[in-house]
Amino acid sequence: MKIKDGFILREVAGSYIVVAVGSAVKTFNGVINLNQTGAFLWELLQKGAEKEDLVKALLEEYEVDEQTASKDVDVFIEKLEQANLIK
Amino acid sequence: MIRYKIADVVFDAKTIYKFSEKLCENYRYNGEEQPEFTVIITPEDINQEKVLASDFPDAYLESLALFRKLCHYTLENAQGIIFHSSAIMVDGEAYLFTAPSGTGKSTHTRLWREMLGERAVMINDDKPIIRYIDGEFYVYGTPWNGKHRLDTNARAKIKAICKIYQAKENVIEKINPAEMLVTLLGQTIRPSEEDKMDKLLDLLGKMLEKVELYKLGCNISREAAELSFNTMSKGDRQ
Repeated sequence: MKIKDGFILREVAGSYIVVAVGSAVKTFNGVINLNQTGAFLWELLQKGAEKEDLVKALLEEYEVDEQTASKDVDVFIEKLEQANLIK
Repeated sequence: MIRYKIADVVFDAKTIYKFSEKLCENYRYNGEEQPEFTVIITPEDINQEKVLASDFPDAYLESLALFRKLCHYTLENAQGIIFHSSAIMVDGEAYLFTAPSGTGKSTHTRLWREMLGERAVMINDDKPIIRYIDGEFYVYGTPWNGKHRLDTNARAKIKAICKIYQAKENVIEKINPAEMLVTLLGQTIRPSEEDKMDKLLDLLGKMLEKVELYKLGCNISREAAELSFNTMSKGDRQ
């Protein structure tokens, strides 16, 4: 799984946002707000990662049990898929 | 070719229709400064505006094309951003009200003018330009001044930005930068190039940390104007 081209994550005034650039502007003109965990997962997905990689990364980075991490990743991926941001 | 000075940027422009010339006539410049750039509007520029707003006559679309070019130039070269808002100056400090079209930002600044009389000066009622100069944010009047044609060819330091929504009871609160950021991004011209987007986000980030940020729920009354003015003019001094 990978984030589609043309979406950039930035930290602005203490919050994480994603906006479109380049040809992605034609299909997406909004702003996505991410929390810190969301931004962490987003960065991994920008390089390309599978669900297991994301869960593993969460377990290493945050104090969280595997069940919760797995559920959080599912919710995050589902949101990205709904917004048509994953290729 | 006609020379203009808008938002302290001197430039030459060649337009096709008289409408833009007339619109910008208060911003003509005959001084010593040399132009920073030249704009020549082509039919292709007008066609591009048509894609975004097809219902308007070409002469009007040309004025938007001119505005867009000026905005891109100021973002790239002059730390400038356009912010769709109604900007009013009181006692030398500027207050910017933003909201989706039709919410009542122009109405609210009109209430301020009725309440404050000559103390209040409209900088621009629709599309002012903001510039970051020597660590401060200034709002500039532009000819693109909204349907009530309200603008002054002047600049003022920004004290506060306030987003407005309609409400039965008047209520005002401070908001955090994250909440205002989404609003700002929805009310500016967003470049599609990544490096320019980074310039825009950098400027917005600095502005959100510099000026005071509010959210106002209001009806159309003098009380609404009193609440917002008394709160925002005191600001951090309260």
